[in-house]
Amino acid sequence: MLDAGGLGSHLGEPDLRFEPQAVGEGLMAASIDRAEALLEYLRVQVGIPALATIGPAARAFDALASTAPAIREVVTMGKILWEVRRDIWDTVVVDAAPTGQIGSYLRAARTIRELLATGRILEQVEWMEEILTDPAVTRLVLVTLLEELPAVETAETVTWVEGEALVGDITVVANRSLPRLEARVPKGDGPVTEAAALHHALWEEQQEWLETVAADATLPYLFGTHTPTEVAERLADWFEDDLR
Amino acid sequence: MTGRAQEGTRAVVVTGAGGVGKTTISAALAVAAARAGRRTLVLTVDPARRLTTALGIEMSNEPEPHPDAPNLWGAMLDATASWHEVVRRHADPEVAERLIDNQFFDAATSHFPASQSFAAAEEAATYLDARAWDLVVVDTPPAAGGIEFFTAPASMSDLVGGRVLRWLTGARLPGRRFLFNRTAKPMLRLADQVLGSNLLEQIAEFFMDLRTTYDGVSKRARQIERHMRRATTLVVTTSDPGPMAETLRFFRALPEVASPPAAVVFNRTLPESWIDAEVPADTPAALATNLERWAEESRMQRAARRELGERHGVPIVTVPWRQHPPTDLEALADLADVEGLRRIWEES
Repeated sequence: MLDAGGLGSHLGEPDLRFEPQAVGEGLMAASIDRAEALLEYLRVQVGIPALATIGPAARAFDALASTAPAIREVVTMGKILWEVRRDIWDTVVVDAAPTGQIGSYLRAARTIRELLATGRILEQVEWMEEILTDPAVTRLVLVTLLEELPAVETAETVTWVEGEALVGDITVVANRSLPRLEARVPKGDGPVTEAAALHHALWEEQQEWLETVAADATLPYLFGTHTPTEVAERLADWFEDDLR
Repeated sequence: MTGRAQEGTRAVVVTGAGGVGKTTISAALAVAAARAGRRTLVLTVDPARRLTTALGIEMSNEPEPHPDAPNLWGAMLDATASWHEVVRRHADPEVAERLIDNQFFDAATSHFPASQSFAAAEEAATYLDARAWDLVVVDTPPAAGGIEFFTAPASMSDLVGGRVLRWLTGARLPGRRFLFNRTAKPMLRLADQVLGSNLLEQIAEFFMDLRTTYDGVSKRARQIERHMRRATTLVVTTSDPGPMAETLRFFRALPEVASPPAAVVFNRTLPESWIDAEVPADTPAALATNLERWAEESRMQRAARRELGERHGVPIVTVPWRQHPPTDLEALADLADVEGLRRIWEES
Protein backbone atom coordinates (compact mmCIF):
# COMPACT_ATOMS: atom_id res chain seq x y z
CA MET A 1 0.00 0.00 0.00
CA LEU A 2 2.71 2.52 0.96
CA ASP A 3 5.90 0.60 0.31
CA ALA A 4 5.47 -1.24 -2.96
CA GLY A 5 9.24 -1.62 -3.35
CA GLY A 6 9.51 -3.30 0.04
CA LEU A 7 6.72 -5.76 -0.68
CA GLY A 8 7.96 -6.36 -4.21
CA SER A 9 11.46 -7.27 -3.11
CA HIS A 10 10.05 -9.91 -0.74
CA LEU A 11 8.11 -11.39 -3.65
CA GLY A 12 11.04 -11.23 -6.06
CA GLU A 13 9.22 -8.69 -8.24
CA PRO A 14 10.59 -5.23 -7.39
CA ASP A 15 8.37 -3.32 -9.80
CA LEU A 16 4.83 -3.98 -8.71
CA ARG A 17 2.21 -2.13 -10.69
CA PHE A 18 -1.38 -1.06 -10.17
CA GLU A 19 -2.58 -3.91 -12.40
CA PRO A 20 -2.27 -7.23 -10.52
CA GLN A 21 0.45 -9.49 -11.90
CA ALA A 22 1.32 -13.11 -11.16
CA VAL A 23 4.27 -13.48 -8.80
CA GLY A 24 3.85 -17.15 -7.94
CA GLU A 25 1.42 -20.04 -8.20
CA GLY A 26 -2.00 -18.75 -7.22
CA LEU A 27 -0.46 -15.49 -6.08
CA MET A 28 -1.05 -12.11 -7.67
CA ALA A 29 0.41 -8.86 -6.44
CA ALA A 30 -0.27 -5.19 -7.11
CA SER A 31 0.66 -1.84 -5.64
CA ILE A 32 -1.81 0.92 -4.92
CA ASP A 33 -1.19 4.15 -6.76
CA ARG A 34 -3.49 6.77 -5.34
CA ALA A 35 -3.98 8.68 -8.59
CA GLU A 36 -4.86 5.48 -10.45
CA ALA A 37 -7.06 4.29 -7.61
CA LEU A 38 -8.94 7.57 -7.77
CA LEU A 39 -9.48 7.32 -11.51
CA GLU A 40 -10.64 3.75 -11.16
CA TYR A 41 -12.99 4.83 -8.40
CA LEU A 42 -14.44 7.62 -10.53
CA ARG A 43 -14.85 5.26 -13.46
CA VAL A 44 -16.22 2.23 -11.65
CA GLN A 45 -18.07 3.65 -8.67
CA VAL A 46 -19.17 7.10 -9.80
CA GLY A 47 -19.57 6.18 -13.44
CA ILE A 48 -17.44 8.92 -14.95
CA PRO A 49 -15.58 7.86 -18.11
CA ALA A 50 -11.79 7.94 -18.23
CA LEU A 51 -10.33 11.42 -18.05
CA ALA A 52 -8.17 12.49 -20.94
CA THR A 53 -5.37 14.02 -18.91
CA ILE A 54 -4.77 12.74 -15.47
CA GLY A 55 -1.56 14.60 -14.59
CA PRO A 56 -2.58 18.06 -13.35
CA ALA A 57 -6.07 16.93 -12.42
CA ALA A 58 -4.81 14.11 -10.25
CA ARG A 59 -2.24 16.39 -8.62
CA ALA A 60 -4.87 18.99 -7.88
CA PHE A 61 -7.17 16.40 -6.45
CA ASP A 62 -4.31 15.10 -4.39
CA ALA A 63 -3.73 18.57 -2.95
CA LEU A 64 -7.40 18.81 -2.08
CA ALA A 65 -7.46 15.31 -0.72
CA SER A 66 -4.42 15.98 1.45
CA THR A 67 -6.27 18.77 3.15
CA ALA A 68 -9.59 17.27 4.01
CA PRO A 69 -9.34 14.53 6.59
CA ALA A 70 -9.97 11.00 5.33
CA ILE A 71 -10.40 11.73 1.61
CA ARG A 72 -6.98 10.43 0.73
CA GLU A 73 -7.34 7.39 2.95
CA VAL A 74 -10.81 6.58 1.70
CA VAL A 75 -9.53 6.44 -1.88
CA THR A 76 -6.89 3.91 -0.88
CA MET A 77 -9.25 1.92 1.33
CA GLY A 78 -11.90 2.08 -1.38
CA LYS A 79 -9.55 0.35 -3.81
CA ILE A 80 -8.65 -2.36 -1.30
CA LEU A 81 -12.21 -3.05 -0.26
CA TRP A 82 -13.37 -2.96 -3.87
CA GLU A 83 -11.00 -5.85 -4.57
CA VAL A 84 -12.73 -7.70 -1.72
CA ARG A 85 -16.20 -6.78 -2.93
CA ARG A 86 -15.54 -7.88 -6.51
CA ASP A 87 -15.33 -11.43 -5.19
CA ILE A 88 -12.69 -12.64 -7.64
CA TRP A 89 -10.07 -13.47 -4.99
CA ASP A 90 -10.13 -16.05 -2.20
CA THR A 91 -7.99 -13.85 0.03
CA VAL A 92 -6.82 -10.26 -0.23
CA VAL A 93 -3.74 -9.53 1.88
CA VAL A 94 -2.91 -5.85 2.33
CA ASP A 95 0.53 -4.68 3.36
CA ALA A 96 -1.02 -1.70 5.11
CA ALA A 97 0.22 1.50 6.72
CA PRO A 98 2.44 1.38 9.82
CA THR A 99 0.58 0.76 13.07
CA GLY A 100 0.87 4.41 14.06
CA GLN A 101 -1.04 5.49 10.93
CA ILE A 102 -3.47 2.64 10.47
CA GLY A 103 -6.21 4.31 12.50
CA SER A 104 -6.82 7.05 9.96
CA TYR A 105 -7.23 4.44 7.21
CA LEU A 106 -9.56 2.21 9.18
CA ARG A 107 -11.63 5.16 10.30
CA ALA A 108 -11.65 6.94 6.93
CA ALA A 109 -15.09 5.74 5.84
CA ARG A 110 -16.66 6.75 9.14
CA THR A 111 -14.95 10.15 9.13
CA ILE A 112 -16.33 10.80 5.65
CA ARG A 113 -19.81 9.90 6.82
CA GLU A 114 -19.49 12.37 9.69
CA LEU A 115 -17.95 15.12 7.57
CA LEU A 116 -20.00 15.20 4.39
CA ALA A 117 -23.62 16.13 4.03
CA THR A 118 -23.73 15.54 0.29
CA GLY A 119 -21.49 14.14 -2.39
CA ARG A 120 -21.26 10.89 -4.27
CA ILE A 121 -18.52 9.54 -2.03
CA LEU A 122 -21.07 9.18 0.77
CA GLU A 123 -22.78 6.40 -1.16
CA GLN A 124 -19.59 4.36 -1.10
CA VAL A 125 -18.65 4.48 2.53
CA GLU A 126 -21.55 2.39 3.73
CA TRP A 127 -20.49 -0.83 1.99
CA MET A 128 -16.88 -0.11 2.92
CA GLU A 129 -17.73 -0.04 6.60
CA GLU A 130 -19.80 -3.21 6.22
CA ILE A 131 -16.88 -5.14 4.76
CA LEU A 132 -14.42 -3.82 7.35
CA THR A 133 -16.52 -4.61 10.38
CA ASP A 134 -17.67 -8.09 9.32
CA PRO A 135 -15.57 -10.59 11.34
CA ALA A 136 -16.28 -13.28 8.73
CA VAL A 137 -14.58 -11.13 6.09
CA THR A 138 -11.97 -8.82 7.59
CA ARG A 139 -9.18 -9.40 10.03
CA LEU A 140 -6.65 -6.78 11.09
CA VAL A 141 -3.20 -8.25 11.69
CA LEU A 142 -0.94 -6.01 13.74
CA VAL A 143 2.70 -7.02 13.44
CA THR A 144 5.00 -5.78 16.16
CA LEU A 145 8.55 -6.07 17.39
CA LEU A 146 9.02 -6.96 21.01
CA GLU A 147 10.51 -3.59 21.92
CA GLU A 148 9.07 -0.71 23.88
CA LEU A 149 7.90 1.74 21.19
CA PRO A 150 6.28 -0.72 18.78
CA ALA A 151 4.81 -2.83 21.59
CA VAL A 152 3.21 0.13 23.37
CA GLU A 153 1.92 1.50 20.06
CA THR A 154 0.45 -1.89 19.15
CA ALA A 155 -1.29 -2.31 22.51
CA GLU A 156 -2.74 1.21 22.26
CA THR A 157 -3.91 0.59 18.69
CA VAL A 158 -5.70 -2.63 19.69
CA THR A 159 -7.54 -0.80 22.47
CA TRP A 160 -8.50 2.05 20.19
CA VAL A 161 -9.60 -0.07 17.21
CA GLU A 162 -11.67 -2.30 19.50
CA GLY A 163 -13.19 0.72 21.23
CA GLU A 164 -14.22 2.25 17.92
CA ALA A 165 -15.36 -1.16 16.60
CA LEU A 166 -13.60 -0.50 13.29
CA VAL A 167 -12.74 -4.02 12.11
CA GLY A 168 -14.21 -7.47 12.43
CA ASP A 169 -11.30 -9.12 14.19
CA ILE A 170 -7.75 -8.36 15.36
CA THR A 171 -4.71 -10.64 15.51
CA VAL A 172 -1.41 -9.50 17.02
CA VAL A 173 1.76 -11.10 15.67
CA ALA A 174 5.10 -10.61 17.40
CA ASN A 175 7.88 -10.68 14.85
CA ARG A 176 11.55 -11.51 15.44
CA SER A 177 10.79 -13.38 18.57
CA LEU A 178 13.82 -15.12 20.11
CA PRO A 179 13.66 -18.78 21.11
CA ARG A 180 14.19 -19.52 24.78
CA LEU A 181 17.77 -20.52 25.52
CA GLU A 182 17.55 -23.92 27.19
CA ALA A 183 20.74 -23.52 29.19
CA ARG A 184 22.08 -21.34 31.98
CA VAL A 185 24.54 -18.58 31.19
CA PRO A 186 27.90 -20.20 31.97
CA LYS A 187 30.43 -18.57 34.27
CA GLY A 188 33.60 -16.98 32.95
CA ASP A 189 34.00 -14.99 29.78
CA GLY A 190 34.49 -15.58 26.09
CA PRO A 191 32.08 -15.67 23.15
CA VAL A 192 29.97 -18.61 24.43
CA THR A 193 29.19 -16.79 27.69
CA GLU A 194 28.75 -13.38 26.06
CA ALA A 195 26.34 -14.69 23.44
CA ALA A 196 24.36 -16.61 26.07
CA ALA A 197 24.14 -13.56 28.36
CA LEU A 198 22.99 -11.29 25.52
CA HIS A 199 20.45 -13.82 24.28
CA HIS A 200 19.05 -14.38 27.74
CA ALA A 201 18.72 -10.65 28.51
CA LEU A 202 17.05 -9.92 25.16
CA TRP A 203 14.72 -12.90 25.59
CA GLU A 204 13.64 -11.68 29.02
CA GLU A 205 13.02 -8.18 27.68
CA GLN A 206 10.95 -9.67 24.85
CA GLN A 207 8.80 -11.64 27.30
CA GLU A 208 7.79 -8.41 28.99
CA TRP A 209 6.63 -6.83 25.73
CA LEU A 210 5.00 -10.09 24.65
CA GLU A 211 2.77 -9.73 27.67
CA THR A 212 2.08 -6.06 26.87
CA VAL A 213 0.86 -6.85 23.36
CA ALA A 214 -0.85 -10.14 24.25
CA ALA A 215 0.36 -11.64 20.97
CA ASP A 216 -1.74 -14.32 19.30
CA ALA A 217 1.25 -15.64 17.37
CA THR A 218 5.00 -15.19 17.15
CA LEU A 219 7.35 -15.29 14.19
CA PRO A 220 10.94 -16.37 14.76
CA TYR A 221 14.03 -14.18 14.70
CA LEU A 222 15.93 -15.13 11.53
CA PHE A 223 19.61 -15.10 12.38
CA GLY A 224 21.98 -13.84 9.75
CA THR A 225 19.37 -13.57 7.02
CA HIS A 226 20.28 -11.39 4.08
CA THR A 227 17.81 -10.72 1.29
CA PRO A 228 14.12 -9.86 1.49
CA THR A 229 13.29 -12.87 -0.72
CA GLU A 230 15.13 -15.15 1.71
CA VAL A 231 13.21 -13.66 4.63
CA ALA A 232 9.88 -14.22 2.89
CA GLU A 233 10.76 -17.80 1.94
CA ARG A 234 11.99 -18.75 5.39
CA LEU A 235 8.91 -17.30 7.06
CA ALA A 236 6.65 -19.05 4.53
CA ASP A 237 8.39 -22.36 5.35
CA TRP A 238 7.86 -21.64 9.01
CA PHE A 239 4.16 -20.98 8.44
CA GLU A 240 3.86 -24.26 6.55
CA ASP A 241 5.56 -26.22 9.34
CA ASP A 242 3.45 -24.46 11.89
CA LEU A 243 0.22 -25.22 10.09
CA ARG A 244 1.06 -28.88 9.59
CA MET B 1 34.30 27.00 25.02
CA THR B 2 34.60 30.72 24.39
CA GLY B 3 35.79 30.09 20.86
CA ARG B 4 32.81 27.91 20.18
CA ALA B 5 30.32 30.33 21.65
CA GLN B 6 31.61 33.00 19.27
CA GLU B 7 31.03 30.65 16.36
CA GLY B 8 27.43 30.30 17.49
CA THR B 9 25.43 27.19 18.27
CA ARG B 10 26.51 24.03 16.49
CA ALA B 11 24.07 21.37 15.38
CA VAL B 12 24.28 17.61 15.08
CA VAL B 13 21.47 16.17 12.98
CA VAL B 14 20.86 12.50 13.73
CA THR B 15 19.02 10.77 10.94
CA GLY B 16 18.15 7.22 9.86
CA ALA B 17 15.34 4.69 9.53
CA GLY B 18 12.70 4.10 12.21
CA GLY B 19 13.41 1.69 15.04
CA VAL B 20 17.22 1.73 14.87
CA GLY B 21 17.75 3.61 18.13
CA LYS B 22 18.16 7.09 16.64
CA THR B 23 16.53 8.82 19.58
CA THR B 24 18.66 6.89 22.06
CA ILE B 25 21.87 7.78 20.19
CA SER B 26 20.76 11.44 20.06
CA ALA B 27 20.14 11.47 23.81
CA ALA B 28 23.47 9.73 24.45
CA LEU B 29 25.38 12.31 22.40
CA ALA B 30 23.64 15.16 24.22
CA VAL B 31 24.35 13.71 27.67
CA ALA B 32 28.01 13.15 26.81
CA ALA B 33 28.40 16.69 25.40
CA ALA B 34 26.70 18.23 28.44
CA ARG B 35 29.00 16.29 30.74
CA ALA B 36 31.94 17.64 28.79
CA GLY B 37 30.75 21.13 29.73
CA ARG B 38 28.88 22.14 26.59
CA ARG B 39 25.45 23.70 26.98
CA THR B 40 23.44 21.13 25.06
CA LEU B 41 19.84 20.81 23.92
CA VAL B 42 18.45 17.56 22.54
CA LEU B 43 15.35 17.89 20.37
CA THR B 44 13.60 14.54 20.14
CA VAL B 45 10.68 13.40 18.02
CA ASP B 46 8.93 10.55 19.77
CA PRO B 47 10.96 9.30 22.72
CA ALA B 48 10.05 6.01 24.38
CA ARG B 49 8.91 6.38 27.97
CA ARG B 50 11.93 4.47 29.21
CA LEU B 51 14.31 6.74 27.37
CA THR B 52 12.59 9.84 28.78
CA THR B 53 12.92 8.27 32.22
CA ALA B 54 16.60 7.51 31.58
CA LEU B 55 17.15 11.06 30.43
CA GLY B 56 15.32 12.44 33.47
CA ILE B 57 13.72 15.41 31.70
CA GLU B 58 10.00 16.16 31.65
CA MET B 59 9.75 16.59 27.86
CA SER B 60 7.53 19.25 26.35
CA ASN B 61 7.47 21.47 23.27
CA GLU B 62 9.65 24.02 25.12
CA PRO B 63 13.25 23.23 26.12
CA GLU B 64 13.34 22.02 29.73
CA PRO B 65 16.56 21.92 31.73
CA HIS B 66 17.54 18.70 33.46
CA PRO B 67 16.78 19.10 37.18
CA ASP B 68 20.21 17.89 38.29
CA ALA B 69 22.53 17.51 35.33
CA PRO B 70 24.07 20.85 34.39
CA ASN B 71 24.22 21.99 30.75
CA LEU B 72 21.52 19.57 29.59
CA TRP B 73 18.17 20.56 28.10
CA GLY B 74 15.57 18.48 26.33
CA ALA B 75 12.57 19.28 24.14
CA MET B 76 10.09 17.13 22.27
CA LEU B 77 8.72 17.96 18.83
CA ASP B 78 5.08 18.93 18.80
CA ALA B 79 4.30 19.27 15.12
CA THR B 80 0.92 20.90 15.65
CA ALA B 81 2.31 23.57 17.99
CA SER B 82 5.19 24.18 15.58
CA TRP B 83 2.75 24.69 12.74
CA HIS B 84 0.76 27.19 14.75
CA GLU B 85 3.97 29.14 15.28
CA VAL B 86 4.88 28.96 11.60
CA VAL B 87 1.50 30.35 10.60
CA ARG B 88 1.50 33.05 13.27
CA ARG B 89 4.95 34.14 12.14
CA HIS B 90 4.22 34.25 8.43
CA ALA B 91 0.59 35.27 8.05
CA ASP B 92 -1.33 38.41 9.05
CA PRO B 93 -2.67 37.99 12.59
CA GLU B 94 -6.25 37.79 11.37
CA VAL B 95 -5.45 35.25 8.65
CA ALA B 96 -3.29 33.24 11.06
CA GLU B 97 -6.12 32.80 13.54
CA ARG B 98 -8.55 31.96 10.75
CA LEU B 99 -6.14 29.31 9.47
CA ILE B 100 -5.59 27.77 12.89
CA ASP B 101 -9.33 27.70 13.55
CA ASN B 102 -10.03 26.14 10.17
CA GLN B 103 -11.26 22.58 10.65
CA PHE B 104 -8.78 21.40 8.02
CA PHE B 105 -5.72 22.96 9.56
CA ASP B 106 -4.62 20.09 11.79
CA ALA B 107 -5.55 17.45 9.26
CA ALA B 108 -3.72 19.32 6.54
CA THR B 109 -0.59 20.05 8.50
CA SER B 110 -0.32 16.48 9.66
CA HIS B 111 -1.02 15.20 6.14
CA PHE B 112 1.15 17.34 3.92
CA PRO B 113 4.05 15.28 2.75
CA ALA B 114 7.09 16.21 4.84
CA SER B 115 4.94 18.10 7.31
CA GLN B 116 6.44 16.56 10.44
CA SER B 117 9.93 16.86 9.00
CA PHE B 118 9.35 20.52 8.22
CA ALA B 119 8.08 21.15 11.75
CA ALA B 120 11.20 19.44 13.14
CA ALA B 121 13.54 21.43 10.90
CA GLU B 122 11.76 24.67 11.71
CA GLU B 123 11.93 24.01 15.44
CA ALA B 124 15.60 23.04 15.30
CA ALA B 125 16.38 26.25 13.38
CA THR B 126 14.53 28.31 15.99
CA TYR B 127 16.70 26.86 18.76
CA LEU B 128 19.85 27.40 16.71
CA ASP B 129 18.89 31.03 16.16
CA ALA B 130 18.31 31.47 19.90
CA ARG B 131 22.06 31.07 20.51
CA ALA B 132 21.35 29.84 24.01
CA TRP B 133 23.24 26.57 23.56
CA ASP B 134 26.67 25.46 22.38
CA LEU B 135 25.21 22.36 20.78
CA VAL B 136 21.76 21.31 19.59
CA VAL B 137 21.32 17.60 18.88
CA VAL B 138 18.41 17.03 16.52
CA ASP B 139 16.67 13.67 16.36
CA THR B 140 14.77 13.57 13.05
CA PRO B 141 11.42 12.02 12.08
CA PRO B 142 12.04 8.61 10.50
CA ALA B 143 10.63 9.45 7.08
CA ALA B 144 12.13 8.32 3.78
CA GLY B 145 15.35 7.16 5.39
CA GLY B 146 15.94 10.61 6.88
CA ILE B 147 16.15 12.38 3.52
CA GLU B 148 12.86 14.13 4.07
CA PHE B 149 14.18 16.22 6.96
CA PHE B 150 16.59 17.88 4.56
CA THR B 151 14.20 18.32 1.67
CA ALA B 152 11.21 19.37 3.79
CA PRO B 153 11.85 23.15 3.75
CA ALA B 154 11.97 23.22 -0.04
CA SER B 155 8.94 20.93 -0.39
CA MET B 156 7.01 23.10 2.00
CA SER B 157 7.64 26.35 0.15
CA ASP B 158 6.85 24.51 -3.10
CA LEU B 159 3.58 23.38 -1.60
CA VAL B 160 2.55 26.76 -0.22
CA GLY B 161 3.42 28.64 -3.38
CA GLY B 162 3.57 25.84 -5.84
CA ARG B 163 1.92 25.05 -9.11
CA VAL B 164 -0.92 23.03 -7.69
CA LEU B 165 -2.00 25.72 -5.32
CA ARG B 166 -1.70 28.41 -8.00
CA TRP B 167 -3.69 26.23 -10.34
CA LEU B 168 -6.40 25.90 -7.75
CA THR B 169 -6.54 29.45 -6.55
CA GLY B 170 -5.61 31.45 -9.64
CA ALA B 171 -2.37 33.16 -10.70
CA ARG B 172 -2.66 36.12 -8.38
CA LEU B 173 -3.82 36.15 -4.83
CA PRO B 174 -7.54 36.56 -5.18
CA GLY B 175 -9.93 38.37 -2.89
CA ARG B 176 -11.47 36.46 -0.01
CA ARG B 177 -14.72 35.58 -1.67
CA PHE B 178 -13.23 34.67 -4.99
CA LEU B 179 -13.38 30.96 -5.35
CA PHE B 180 -11.62 29.14 -8.09
CA ASN B 181 -13.45 28.93 -11.30
CA ARG B 182 -15.18 25.61 -11.20
CA THR B 183 -16.76 25.79 -14.62
CA ALA B 184 -13.34 26.26 -16.23
CA LYS B 185 -11.87 23.24 -14.50
CA PRO B 186 -13.59 19.93 -15.14
CA MET B 187 -11.61 18.27 -12.39
CA LEU B 188 -13.01 20.69 -9.84
CA ARG B 189 -16.54 20.17 -11.12
CA LEU B 190 -15.89 16.51 -10.59
CA ALA B 191 -14.45 16.99 -7.14
CA ASP B 192 -17.53 19.00 -6.35
CA GLN B 193 -19.78 16.13 -7.35
CA VAL B 194 -17.80 13.61 -5.38
CA LEU B 195 -17.15 15.58 -2.23
CA GLY B 196 -20.05 17.99 -2.12
CA SER B 197 -19.59 21.69 -2.82
CA ASN B 198 -19.60 22.87 0.75
CA LEU B 199 -16.45 20.96 1.56
CA LEU B 200 -14.71 22.11 -1.56
CA GLU B 201 -15.41 25.77 -0.79
CA GLN B 202 -14.03 25.43 2.70
CA ILE B 203 -10.89 23.78 1.42
CA ALA B 204 -10.44 26.46 -1.21
CA GLU B 205 -10.67 29.20 1.40
CA PHE B 206 -8.14 27.38 3.49
CA PHE B 207 -5.71 27.15 0.59
CA MET B 208 -6.05 30.82 -0.23
CA ASP B 209 -5.24 31.78 3.31
CA LEU B 210 -2.31 29.42 3.29
CA ARG B 211 -0.95 31.02 0.14
CA THR B 212 -0.50 34.33 1.92
CA THR B 213 2.27 32.73 3.98
CA TYR B 214 4.34 31.96 0.88
CA ASP B 215 6.91 34.78 1.13
CA GLY B 216 7.54 34.11 4.80
CA VAL B 217 7.70 30.35 4.45
CA SER B 218 10.06 30.37 1.47
CA LYS B 219 12.41 32.84 3.17
CA ARG B 220 12.38 30.72 6.29
CA ALA B 221 13.04 27.59 4.22
CA ARG B 222 16.24 29.17 2.91
CA GLN B 223 17.34 30.08 6.46
CA ILE B 224 16.69 26.53 7.63
CA GLU B 225 18.70 25.14 4.73
CA ARG B 226 21.65 27.34 5.67
CA HIS B 227 21.56 25.83 9.16
CA MET B 228 21.43 22.34 7.69
CA ARG B 229 24.47 22.90 5.53
CA ARG B 230 26.48 23.87 8.61
CA ALA B 231 25.24 20.97 10.73
CA THR B 232 27.10 17.75 11.35
CA THR B 233 25.03 14.88 9.95
CA LEU B 234 25.07 11.44 11.54
CA VAL B 235 23.24 8.49 10.04
CA VAL B 236 22.15 5.81 12.50
CA THR B 237 21.32 2.34 11.23
CA THR B 238 21.40 -1.31 12.12
CA SER B 239 22.68 -3.90 9.68
CA ASP B 240 19.20 -5.37 9.21
CA PRO B 241 18.02 -5.36 5.58
CA GLY B 242 15.28 -2.74 6.05
CA PRO B 243 17.38 -0.03 7.73
CA MET B 244 20.31 -0.84 5.42
CA ALA B 245 18.14 -0.28 2.35
CA GLU B 246 17.10 3.10 3.75
CA THR B 247 20.68 4.04 4.60
CA LEU B 248 21.84 3.22 1.08
CA ARG B 249 18.91 5.23 -0.24
CA PHE B 250 20.00 8.18 1.89
CA PHE B 251 23.44 8.13 0.31
CA ARG B 252 22.03 7.79 -3.18
CA ALA B 253 19.69 10.71 -2.71
CA LEU B 254 21.96 12.75 -0.47
CA PRO B 255 20.43 16.14 -0.99
CA GLU B 256 22.54 19.17 -1.70
CA VAL B 257 21.43 20.79 1.52
CA ALA B 258 22.95 18.12 3.76
CA SER B 259 26.61 18.06 4.54
CA PRO B 260 28.09 14.61 3.78
CA PRO B 261 27.50 12.44 6.88
CA ALA B 262 30.35 12.64 9.40
CA ALA B 263 29.76 8.97 10.14
CA VAL B 264 27.33 6.11 9.90
CA VAL B 265 26.57 4.70 13.34
CA PHE B 266 25.80 0.99 13.38
CA ASN B 267 23.72 0.51 16.49
CA ARG B 268 23.31 -2.92 18.13
CA THR B 269 26.62 -4.23 16.86
CA LEU B 270 27.75 -7.70 17.89
CA PRO B 271 31.42 -8.47 18.61
CA GLU B 272 33.41 -9.61 15.57
CA SER B 273 35.25 -11.94 17.95
CA TRP B 274 32.17 -14.19 17.89
CA ILE B 275 32.72 -14.99 14.21
CA ASP B 276 34.66 -18.25 13.88
CA ALA B 277 35.26 -18.31 17.66
CA GLU B 278 36.65 -21.55 19.09
CA VAL B 279 33.98 -23.37 21.05
CA PRO B 280 35.41 -25.41 23.97
CA ALA B 281 34.74 -29.13 23.56
CA ASP B 282 32.71 -29.44 26.76
CA THR B 283 30.25 -26.69 25.77
CA PRO B 284 26.61 -27.83 26.07
CA ALA B 285 24.95 -28.16 22.67
CA ALA B 286 22.36 -25.43 23.37
CA LEU B 287 25.07 -22.89 24.12
CA ALA B 288 27.16 -23.89 21.11
CA THR B 289 24.14 -23.53 18.82
CA ASN B 290 23.36 -20.20 20.40
CA LEU B 291 26.82 -18.84 19.68
CA GLU B 292 26.65 -20.23 16.16
CA ARG B 293 23.43 -18.31 15.49
CA TRP B 294 24.71 -15.04 16.90
CA ALA B 295 28.02 -15.47 15.08
CA GLU B 296 26.05 -15.79 11.85
CA GLU B 297 24.28 -12.55 12.76
CA SER B 298 27.62 -10.91 13.53
CA ARG B 299 29.00 -12.03 10.17
CA MET B 300 26.00 -10.50 8.40
CA GLN B 301 26.56 -7.26 10.34
CA ARG B 302 30.21 -7.13 9.35
CA ALA B 303 29.35 -7.67 5.70
CA ALA B 304 26.82 -4.82 5.84
CA ARG B 305 29.35 -2.44 7.41
CA ARG B 306 31.99 -3.35 4.87
CA GLU B 307 29.62 -2.91 1.98
CA LEU B 308 28.64 0.56 3.12
CA GLY B 309 32.21 1.63 3.93
CA GLU B 310 33.49 0.42 0.56
CA ARG B 311 30.67 1.86 -1.43
CA HIS B 312 30.52 5.31 0.15
CA GLY B 313 33.86 5.73 1.92
CA VAL B 314 32.12 7.02 5.02
CA PRO B 315 33.56 6.57 8.54
CA ILE B 316 31.79 3.71 10.34
CA VAL B 317 31.08 3.87 14.07
CA THR B 318 29.88 0.82 15.96
CA VAL B 319 27.77 0.99 19.11
CA PRO B 320 27.70 -2.39 20.88
CA TRP B 321 24.43 -4.26 21.37
CA ARG B 322 23.76 -3.91 25.08
CA GLN B 323 21.93 -6.46 27.17
CA HIS B 324 19.62 -3.76 28.52
CA PRO B 325 18.44 -0.40 27.16
CA PRO B 326 20.02 2.54 29.03
CA THR B 327 18.15 3.38 32.24
CA ASP B 328 20.04 6.46 33.46
CA LEU B 329 22.33 9.30 32.39
CA GLU B 330 25.39 7.20 33.20
CA ALA B 331 24.34 4.46 30.79
CA LEU B 332 23.47 7.03 28.11
CA ALA B 333 26.84 8.78 28.40
CA ASP B 334 28.48 5.38 28.27
CA LEU B 335 26.72 4.61 24.99
CA ALA B 336 28.28 7.69 23.37
CA ASP B 337 31.71 6.94 24.78
CA VAL B 338 32.85 4.93 21.78
CA GLU B 339 35.52 5.50 19.19
CA GLY B 340 34.20 7.79 16.49
CA LEU B 341 31.28 9.20 18.49
CA ARG B 342 33.53 11.00 20.97
CA ARG B 343 34.76 13.21 18.15
CA ILE B 344 31.17 14.14 17.32
CA TRP B 345 30.13 15.39 20.75
CA GLU B 346 33.49 16.90 21.59
CA GLU B 347 34.11 18.79 18.38
CA SER B 348 30.91 19.25 16.40
